[in-house]
Amino acid sequence: MVRVTIDGRKVEVAEGATILEAARAAGIEIPTMCYRPGWEASTSCMVCLVRVKGQHSLQPACAAPVRDGMEIESETPEVHGARRTAVELLLSDHVGDCRAPCQSTCPAGMDIPLMIRHLTRHEWREAVATVKRDIALPGVLGRICPAPCEKACRRAACDQALSICLLKRAAADADLAMPVPFRPACRPDTGRRVAVIGGGPAGLAAAYHLLEEGIRPVVIDDRAQPGGRLRERIDPARLPGSVLDAEAAVIAGLGAEFRMNTRVGRDIAFADLVAGHDAVVLAVGEWAAPEGFPAGLDVTGHGLAVNPRTGATNLPRVFACGDAVRKTEMAVIAVAAGKTVARAVAEFLRTGSAHGADRAFSVHIGRVRPEERAVFLQEGAPRARVEPAGGLATGFAEDEVKAEAQRCLHCDCRRTADCRLRELAVRYGAKASRYKSERRAFEHDLGHPDIVYEPGKCILCGLCVQAAERAGDEPGLTLEGRSYDVRVRVPLAGDIAGALAKSGKACVAVCPTGALALKA
Amino acid sequence: MSEPESVEALTRRWHGLEAALPLLQAIQRQYGYLPADVLREASRGAGIPLARLMGVATFYPQFRHRPVGKHLIRVCDGTACHVKGSELVRDALRRHLKLEGTADTDAAGTFTLETVACLGCCTLAPVIQVDAMTYGHLTPGLVPSVLDEFLRGAATRSAALAADGARSTGSGEVRVGLGSCCMAKGSREIFEAVSRTLAELGAGAHVKRVGCVGMCSQAPLLEIEVPGSRPALYARVQAADVPAILGRHFRARGGRAVRQTTTRWLTTLLAGREHPQAEAIARDGGETAPFFEHQVHIATADSGVMDPTDATEYAERGGFVALQSCVRDRTPEAVIREIQHSGLRGRGGAGYPTGLKWAKVRQAPGTDKVIICNGDEGDPGAFMDRMIMESYPYRVIEGMAIAAHAVGAREGVLYIRSEYPLALDRMREALARCEERGWVGAGAGAAGCPVVLRVFEGAGAFVCGEETALLASVEGRRGMPRLRPPYPGERGLNGRPTLVNNVETYALVPWIVRHGGAAFAGLGTAESKGTKVFALAGKVERGGLIEVPMGLTLRQIVEQVGGGIAGGRRFKAVQIGGPSGGCIPERLADTPVDYQSLAGLGAIMGSGGIVVLDDADCMVELARYFLEFTQGQSCGRCTFCRIGTRRMLEVLERLCAGHGKVEDLGELEQLSHQIQVGSLCGLGKTAPNPVLTTLKYFREEYEAHVAGRCPAGRCRGLIHYTITDRCIGCTLCAQHCPVDAIPMTPYERHAILQDKCIRCGTCKTVCPAEAVSVE
Repeated sequence: MVRVTIDGRKVEVAEGATILEAARAAGIEIPTMCYRPGWEASTSCMVCLVRVKGQHSLQPACAAPVRDGMEIESETPEVHGARRTAVELLLSDHVGDCRAPCQSTCPAGMDIPLMIRHLTRHEWREAVATVKRDIALPGVLGRICPAPCEKACRRAACDQALSICLLKRAAADADLAMPVPFRPACRPDTGRRVAVIGGGPAGLAAAYHLLEEGIRPVVIDDRAQPGGRLRERIDPARLPGSVLDAEAAVIAGLGAEFRMNTRVGRDIAFADLVAGHDAVVLAVGEWAAPEGFPAGLDVTGHGLAVNPRTGATNLPRVFACGDAVRKTEMAVIAVAAGKTVARAVAEFLRTGSAHGADRAFSVHIGRVRPEERAVFLQEGAPRARVEPAGGLATGFAEDEVKAEAQRCLHCDCRRTADCRLRELAVRYGAKASRYKSERRAFEHDLGHPDIVYEPGKCILCGLCVQAAERAGDEPGLTLEGRSYDVRVRVPLAGDIAGALAKSGKACVAVCPTGALALKA
Repeated sequence: MSEPESVEALTRRWHGLEAALPLLQAIQRQYGYLPADVLREASRGAGIPLARLMGVATFYPQFRHRPVGKHLIRVCDGTACHVKGSELVRDALRRHLKLEGTADTDAAGTFTLETVACLGCCTLAPVIQVDAMTYGHLTPGLVPSVLDEFLRGAATRSAALAADGARSTGSGEVRVGLGSCCMAKGSREIFEAVSRTLAELGAGAHVKRVGCVGMCSQAPLLEIEVPGSRPALYARVQAADVPAILGRHFRARGGRAVRQTTTRWLTTLLAGREHPQAEAIARDGGETAPFFEHQVHIATADSGVMDPTDATEYAERGGFVALQSCVRDRTPEAVIREIQHSGLRGRGGAGYPTGLKWAKVRQAPGTDKVIICNGDEGDPGAFMDRMIMESYPYRVIEGMAIAAHAVGAREGVLYIRSEYPLALDRMREALARCEERGWVGAGAGAAGCPVVLRVFEGAGAFVCGEETALLASVEGRRGMPRLRPPYPGERGLNGRPTLVNNVETYALVPWIVRHGGAAFAGLGTAESKGTKVFALAGKVERGGLIEVPMGLTLRQIVEQVGGGIAGGRRFKAVQIGGPSGGCIPERLADTPVDYQSLAGLGAIMGSGGIVVLDDADCMVELARYFLEFTQGQSCGRCTFCRIGTRRMLEVLERLCAGHGKVEDLGELEQLSHQIQVGSLCGLGKTAPNPVLTTLKYFREEYEAHVAGRCPAGRCRGLIHYTITDRCIGCTLCAQHCPVDAIPMTPYERHAILQDKCIRCGTCKTVCPAEAVSVE
């Protein structure tokens, strides 16, 4: 037995054990990607680097054997810095998007590819659930959103963008047509009460997401109906009042109180609202003049001054969102802001302070090169963008929804949930664009019935090569080439379906990134 | 060329996982490349899974996957060639062969062009090899004539030299240097001319091929020794001059007068410069005396006088005495103690104490031990090991046999890189002779060591110089290093305790055994004992292979042994240690060459390549060059080396192209540090050294590049050529410009069309009036 110290903890392990094994025995977690217990060590990713005192360079814990008396450090700034660099270098050579360009561009961050996958299967309920996780008013936005997502849609660079906005509308309309429209799973009532001043898109969205958090909102507005300026500024032919009514009714149905025809400052004092609620959300829309804001609130040249992550104003328990903070012509931005503030308020009420959520980590492929268009298009149905036969007034019919949804290229990563690289990037605060370089051409191999191979996401751990070999697949996979050009390939450019006839799913199971993923 | 063999026959000969490399080499010899269907058949026949075989076939640069032309042109991109313009030569070849994009074979299928890391003919830089012919001192302008000459000569080229000539008869000896450098400069023809002339003269002198004299820049060399007079050494000899030279030393039989022509040393096409007059160079006096006076020949003993493959001569000169004394009179422990006393440290680069390494292998459990000679000398700018293997193959074998006796190894491998065909031939031949005479092998006699040695040919991967990668390569796998420990001494070839030493280390062993460790330790410095062989090349007057005691200063090596900077330029720096080493500026040239001093400057001793740089060399560009090399040679395993060196290279490329930013310098330092501490093997850990040393000593050059200037006038993106009013209107530049960027205006000052100019420098080279300036 040998004795070693890891991060100050003493542990005794068998001779010949690796530092990683010793750390695990000591209950210390050292991250790994290319390592798999019992398999031939690859020692390639280097995210398991640790500092062994007295040695010149850092050591890969997965392969370095312990020696008696070793003192090992795993949680120092130096070690974290090296792990972060390893991750950042891998990310600098990573051709893939964690989140699809449409989702990254959507101000509300809606999971568009997932919604579309549900729509291809006519899974209406799942589709609208996906939408409403981030967008409280999809029926409204499905009619009026300028759809920045469609400009970012990868297919726009290949032929024509997906008709995302109409698909979302189809999901929303199908839902509203149900006897009982979709109700999100809400947390149990916390007993907290929040006043939402303003019943426009930002206020309605804030109310919806507060309800999800188990918080009952009171929506106060001096207009007669919820919807704010949407009813005044938008042609009812484009946005019928009934859609606004229906979506507001869903919110009311979840437990929101609407106090209409009530003007703060006239019918009720701002100070009383603050005193009478756990928090106040100002979603008052564009104010004519800053002096109209309640006294004591800091303002900027655009509107109320808030913390951009949480919407917190300078007054305690008072938050703000929407045009009151900064005017926009895009209702989706207001809807997104309402969601952000609702979640920040919930965090504040739960913990006493609000930090807001980090922007989801994502690598980006960026611009599509002309020669890549055909490659990307292999994922989607080869057809032109579907236009609704009934025109914009009716939106998509059911078969049109399916036909259009099938055009989606599914640019999001199939392994976002369990990608080790992404997990470590978040853990070590890696920046995907820390080391810039001209990216490699996008590639994907769709030839296998069960799995998809994207070489651009491969970190060359070789675990799939071993998995195929262990399964007895002939010819299996091999590491080809040298240096920066090493790739995992089917030998002699063979066909992946034959090469991984037995081991396709096993290869996916060992792949630490999204390079190998199940098709479904 | 022998009869083509069937794939089946090949796989019968080369069977099993470990045979992957020789099998692929055999296929490539047969087909010129590796055809896919042959690989499939070979995989089945040899019992090597296709995935494994393809992993190997795509790892080693030697293997080609596309059909090749009738002749193969290899452009050397070693350091010495690089600083002397190999890039321009390659561009000229591509233009001449009309190769576009990624094409490497001309339309007619006559020539295939490839770039190789280093041919080890650094003193002839820049060098290309066309099939077996080597051409040195090339310029872009010479490319068409060289290829024409090659095609004309291809039909009539003479066969290989006869093997051993007759033994010396006592009436004199004519020695012709037949190292690669001399051969590249035509010493075969000289050998033939000498034989012919001696026959015509009826002189009884013996013509003898000898190994490297070390004065490679003076190649080809001819030495004449007549009993009773001092030996005379002739440099830069041409075949046509042989009768005249011999005539001075030998009288024709029967009193026939020898034609006494005034020797006219022709300007050879390839040297591109005047040859010195035909004066014999005295080894012990005259202007080249400093070349020899600092040298102490141990690994290179008998330089220039011994026939490399003549086993009898080696034995007569004291060869195998050391081995005999070891196996007869000394226990392995005693041999190891002797080596430890000598203070010998590994000559391959890292400088690990040799005796200690031997002791560890000796003590490792088990009886099944292996000994390996690392002859995979891949550092661009280094050719020590090539010369030692070509000139002293028996000494290397004797050193290995002694080591095998000491550590108890029964099996041994000589791993030699494929770029050294002559070294491979000579080692194979010498090994066969040693087995015949019972010095090594299963049938070794009482005075020999029963270790069974074999030659293993590398396949062009520099990283295989790293010992764990070398082992993987011998095992028939991709040459990827693994983490040490375990060291090869504990777990080496196929898990057996393995001793890996470099060629030069083994070559020093017989002398140490014969003269005692103390005698060796008496040479050199306190911490760095003995001698070191260096390959001196670059912008130095007398490049070559030298062996000097440790502790000589860099300045002594450059200015005295090397005769200073060539062409009257300014001594700027030396690059020592190759891609793992660093650039040491002239102001620190008084540093003694020993392990500690060099490490203190951020460089390393390395295997012994010294490339001398002058003021026309750009340090940023040189750093870029080395990074390009290491990046390309990375095995691709670990993140830091595979991607990190690539990102560094991209930064350096931006700097050289004039697109650099001030932040880039900090970025280089940050990445360098991370790569040093995070890489898996020595290749990665040391890859940043050339960048760090140039950043440290020549930071102002980096800053100049950021500002858009290349002070050395080297980076093509930052310079332009102009024609000054010294122009005499001779039109030579216009005639030679490969891209017609200079309109022909006879008797008037010429001008360069900047948008057409490719900055190849041809105009500057051909201008007789020095009217082309670089800014």
